[in-house]
Amino acid sequence: MDPRETLRIAGRSIRAHRLRSTLTVIGIVIGIASVVVFASFGASVEASVIDDIGGTDANNVYLLPASTDDEGPAGGPGLGQPVFTQHDIEQLREVEGVETVLPRGIVQLSAVEHDGQTVAQRQATATTPATFDNDSVVAGRGFRQGAAELVINERAAVAFPGNLSVGDEVTLQLASGDRETLTVVGIVSGTRGGFLSSFGGVQSRYYLPTEPYYRTTTESPTLGVDQKAYPQVTVTTAPTAVQSARAEIEAYAAESDATRLLPAGFEVVVQTSGDVVEEIQDVIDRITRFVTGIAVIALVVGAIGIANITLVSVTERTKEIGIMKAVGATNRDTMQLFLTEAVLLGGIGAVVGVPLGLLVGFGAAVYAEVSFTLPINWIVFSVAMGVTTGVVAGLYPAWRASKVDPIEALRYE
Amino acid sequence: MTATESTTAEAVVALSDVRKTYELGGTVTALDDVSLSLAEGSYTAVMGPSGSGKSTLLNLIGGLDTPDDGSVRVGGQHLGAASERDRAAVRGTEIGFVFQTFNLMPRLTAVENVALPLVFDGWDRTERLDRAREVLDRVGLGDRYDHEPAQLSGGQRQRVAIARALAPDPSILLADEPTGNVDTETGAGIMALLAEINNAGNSILLVSHSRRIAEHAERIVHIRDGLIEEIETVTPEVA
Repeated sequence: MDPRETLRIAGRSIRAHRLRSTLTVIGIVIGIASVVVFASFGASVEASVIDDIGGTDANNVYLLPASTDDEGPAGGPGLGQPVFTQHDIEQLREVEGVETVLPRGIVQLSAVEHDGQTVAQRQATATTPATFDNDSVVAGRGFRQGAAELVINERAAVAFPGNLSVGDEVTLQLASGDRETLTVVGIVSGTRGGFLSSFGGVQSRYYLPTEPYYRTTTESPTLGVDQKAYPQVTVTTAPTAVQSARAEIEAYAAESDATRLLPAGFEVVVQTSGDVVEEIQDVIDRITRFVTGIAVIALVVGAIGIANITLVSVTERTKEIGIMKAVGATNRDTMQLFLTEAVLLGGIGAVVGVPLGLLVGFGAAVYAEVSFTLPINWIVFSVAMGVTTGVVAGLYPAWRASKVDPIEALRYE
Repeated sequence: MTATESTTAEAVVALSDVRKTYELGGTVTALDDVSLSLAEGSYTAVMGPSGSGKSTLLNLIGGLDTPDDGSVRVGGQHLGAASERDRAAVRGTEIGFVFQTFNLMPRLTAVENVALPLVFDGWDRTERLDRAREVLDRVGLGDRYDHEPAQLSGGQRQRVAIARALAPDPSILLADEPTGNVDTETGAGIMALLAEINNAGNSILLVSHSRRIAEHAERIVHIRDGLIEEIETVTPEVA
């Protein structure tokens, strides 16, 4: 039969039971909207995290200690130990495709003083001048090795009531009790080689030259002499050489001082930004899928609502089914009518639910300060779910309708 | 002239040796080797007590049911072996049902009710609405196109039902107690309309308890216990 006429008749019986239809649609709207909310929020968080990390640090290869046991804790005594010796750093510099090797050490602090004001600060990062690139320097310049110079991030610049600017003098209270006075020579928005450096933006960061401020040493097993040693090393490579350099770095890592110095159960892992992005993506994906899965339950409940209402509708309209069959409706026509009604309910639910979900998802993204990403797949999925819900929920009742015996139905009062 | 005398060429409905049984805690024979043929343009009434098999007869001719044995032919179509789909098509195009309780679709207007068989027959929307208006004019409801059944009187509803039955220009009109739910005066109007329709050339099969109603037909088929007892020719002067 004419699909437009099917729609018209189905639409009319939906309108005839306005309250009942509205309540059924609300069930579907809630289901679909929650799927869209969680999916779009998840996608937004994921996209903004990937954007933050992936963009600036794409050529970074990180070397860091990690537990060899996959199931074990990701921390432990191996982490944060100064195991990458100066010898390791020299060797890494020799690897083809490597542009710079940036060691990172931690200098323990207790506080920072400026102009009579004291601000608590637990640590400063000791590194080399190559860590600053022109793009991230907001004011001044990077420090020089061996000079009493300090570089701070934008957050640290506003940590004091009077604001720090280039040329100011700052006194660091070291955890050892020593005091060092340095001159602020630069303010940066970020650094190269920081592990997930973008996340550092929210905290105050102080960067010192390793000479003369980083004094942690360890005996190099290869050379047998005491050398400076760092807990983490970041290698930046030529953009096209990330993968080849990584393979060589991995080969070296296996025989490095760091591997020998690490306690049993730990090894040096070599990760690119891509690996890190993938891991984070994986975690967010899993959370999104889990939460969205819960939302799908709401959709299932909505589907049961449709099935219920369509069944009631079939029983109520037994006589109408008989009439339609008497005037020439085939079983298929009858089934089509009831199925259309169910799909229409599901479709209306999707049409209302998707924008509602996007709106709430957008609100959540704004609240969480991530840029909103349209989860196109999920929207398609939700609309498909709405319609499929209608089909699945309507199938059995519609089949029942098609099987109605017209003789019995016409006698039905 | 008796029913069996009509040649098959001019018969719109032909039943031959039709048997129909039901299992209701035992085998009930509703129709037992019944043969009947209705000529084109004829007006036949079926009379009989409840349980005589007249409803079964109507259901078989109307394509709502299939015989266990024998053949049922309506407008050139054999219903016995027809698929559900084909029988639905026959119901929609060859048969016009008129019921005692009108059986209109409550949420459709008069025009839409009348056009309903044409929807299932795949007519174009404007064509079927035009046709519906035309038939409504014919039954005297030219001013009630857009009324829903609830806004119409019993007599008007039955006229809409008759219009619906006529809409696909069927081979035969099956009227099951068409005056059973209206008062005598309105009933007389309905019977006059049916007579008029018959005079225009449409074949009618009428089922009634009432001899007074049945006498509007040209002949009366008396049915009892699944068998045709007698086929009586009505003398015209009674009407």
